[in-house]
Amino acid sequence: MHFIWKEWKENIRGKGLWLAIGTIILVSVLLLVRSTSLSYDQGLYILLINLFDTLIYFIPILYLFMGAFSIFQEKEQKTLVMLLTKQESYWTFLAKKSFGMHLVLLTPVIIWFFLFLIPLKIFFKADIGTYLVFVLSITVLMLVFTQIGALVGSISRSRMQIAGIAVILWFYFFFLHDFALLSIIQDVTHENVKLFSIAYFLNPIQAVRMYLETGVGIYSFGHMSRLLKSFMWLQPGAFLGASFVFWMAATFISSVLLHRKEGFE
Amino acid sequence: MPFPEKGTAAQNLQAVIDSAKDGEIIQLESTSYIGNIVIDKPLTLIGKKGTIIEGDGKGNVISVRASGVTISDLKVTNSGMDRNSPEEYAAFKVYTDGNIIRNIVIDHSFHGVYLSKAHDNTIENVSVKGLGKGEIAAQGNGLHVYYSNGNLLKNNFIEGTRDGMFFDYANDNKALNNKITKTRYGLHYMYSDRNEFKNNIFTFNTGGAAIMHSNQLKLENNQFIFNYGHRSFGLLVLSANENNIENNTFYMNQRGLYIDQSTDNLIRSNHLSQNQIGIELWASSNEQIFTGNTIQENTIPAVTLGGTGRNDWSLEGIGNDWGRSFPLLDLDQDGVGDSPAIYKSSLYELIEDQELVYLFLKSPAINIYEKLNQLLDHDKTMFEDQYPLVNRRKSTPYLPAIIIIAVFATAIFAKRRKLLCISFGKNGRKI
Repeated sequence: MHFIWKEWKENIRGKGLWLAIGTIILVSVLLLVRSTSLSYDQGLYILLINLFDTLIYFIPILYLFMGAFSIFQEKEQKTLVMLLTKQESYWTFLAKKSFGMHLVLLTPVIIWFFLFLIPLKIFFKADIGTYLVFVLSITVLMLVFTQIGALVGSISRSRMQIAGIAVILWFYFFFLHDFALLSIIQDVTHENVKLFSIAYFLNPIQAVRMYLETGVGIYSFGHMSRLLKSFMWLQPGAFLGASFVFWMAATFISSVLLHRKEGFE
Repeated sequence: MPFPEKGTAAQNLQAVIDSAKDGEIIQLESTSYIGNIVIDKPLTLIGKKGTIIEGDGKGNVISVRASGVTISDLKVTNSGMDRNSPEEYAAFKVYTDGNIIRNIVIDHSFHGVYLSKAHDNTIENVSVKGLGKGEIAAQGNGLHVYYSNGNLLKNNFIEGTRDGMFFDYANDNKALNNKITKTRYGLHYMYSDRNEFKNNIFTFNTGGAAIMHSNQLKLENNQFIFNYGHRSFGLLVLSANENNIENNTFYMNQRGLYIDQSTDNLIRSNHLSQNQIGIELWASSNEQIFTGNTIQENTIPAVTLGGTGRNDWSLEGIGNDWGRSFPLLDLDQDGVGDSPAIYKSSLYELIEDQELVYLFLKSPAINIYEKLNQLLDHDKTMFEDQYPLVNRRKSTPYLPAIIIIAVFATAIFAKRRKLLCISFGKNGRKI
């Protein structure tokens, strides 16, 4: 419990949390203002898709930074060494720290999104199930990138390293991963499409997008070809779940194995 | 003629119809009547709130076999759903001309209203609810028009059927002000000529409207929104010629307009925005004219696949407004760009060869892919608009982006040194 309290106090003193929440609130409100002229029936769907498409520019990089700097701060302030010397192993420390980070970073955003539902109910025909799918999608994105950030913070020795790695990772998930798949897409056949599918959904951004668009009912896979059926060998929710578990587990294990105890700035 | 007795009503509806005189008005009660019924003389059947005619689940609930029949203000349910039967069943099966079906709710039926060689009928304010997207193949169409001409279908609402409205060998019909959602194709024309569809709204369908092997149609003021699935489109024009497609809105579809093997269609003053592909133009599509359209904020504005047909991107000096993605000068202020709008893309090969590429159309990686291929000279001209429009372009800046950038800039420059690190670490204190 004290981990959560400590995390909360550190974050409200820092600027990162406010910057992230401020950005999310600003983007949401601006898009809502732009969307008020949309039709009552379809407005919610259009707004949510546009909001998601805008937020994916910010959420990965912001939460990468927040996760990374939150871990690195423990090194800077020597609390990590103290904890590891006394009662904690790195994995118990990271488990508690990750839990605290996720709770502190997520809660204000989720509260905001439930407040945001009020104007949505006024302007549009707001289906709660659809909205929950959207909130869950954003939540998964934040969880994954915070945890990847925790890995970055665990392995980095300096804040410059963190900034560099975080930007490279953001660039990778945002551009390079898809670009690499696009470069080999012409070699995809029925025999290897499952591998391609795994690689595609390993990008959490694509997994979340697919889940969101099918979950709110705007994207359908009706009348699929054989190739596409092979590609979609699981439900979008299952792909998202698998991608989520993979990244959470992989980054957690990598953090424990590759962590460095101290930074030098 | 009011219905005789409430209690026995359910058993006697057919008997009452049989005993009615030509032109008689039968007022139904707020109760449930057992179908199936056959109307073989001109009469008027009027229900009220709570009036239901329930079929036996084995045939057509109401068969209209006389001209001049009017049926209104009731609910019809439970037609036969058997796909192996010699006949396709419907809540209403109309075999005759000049009938009116109005203010009707239909559910649990294979087809909603089926016009079979029936002409000059009016289907108005009919609501057909199908079984939903999971059951698309197992059910029929909302309104099915078969070998029937001159019918008027207006103000209907159709949800979750196979096709919303299906026209098969049906000419000179009008579909006005209908709303169709969550179907396979909202509107589907096969071998049907000279039909009009105006002011309809198509949302969340696999395909908004599909015009196949049909000529000389008029499509005006329709909205195609969120027809967004993997194979979706706002409007498909397949082997269809000489159609007028004007003033329609295509918004957030997988493809706005999808044209294949079609000739001589006029596409004028439509608004295509935020589609994955604005216009997908396949091989053997020639002589289309695109003029006065606003085509902007699509991932790909227009793509020609399987070879380049002879299509015109302007008419009499009026091209199309391609939005901010085509910065153009208009020094003489005549509303037409001083240079042509030319769009080159390398994606056409991928789209032709590999359907999975549609999964990436929203990815920012597409831009990198295009730029890289541009450098390597692997791209090809998709269209060349000699007279692109510039006068209608909005000069309003992209306000949200500017504000967000301003927030970041302020946050960063306010701190002056090691800003990013200070913002995120050290409890926000300078070091």
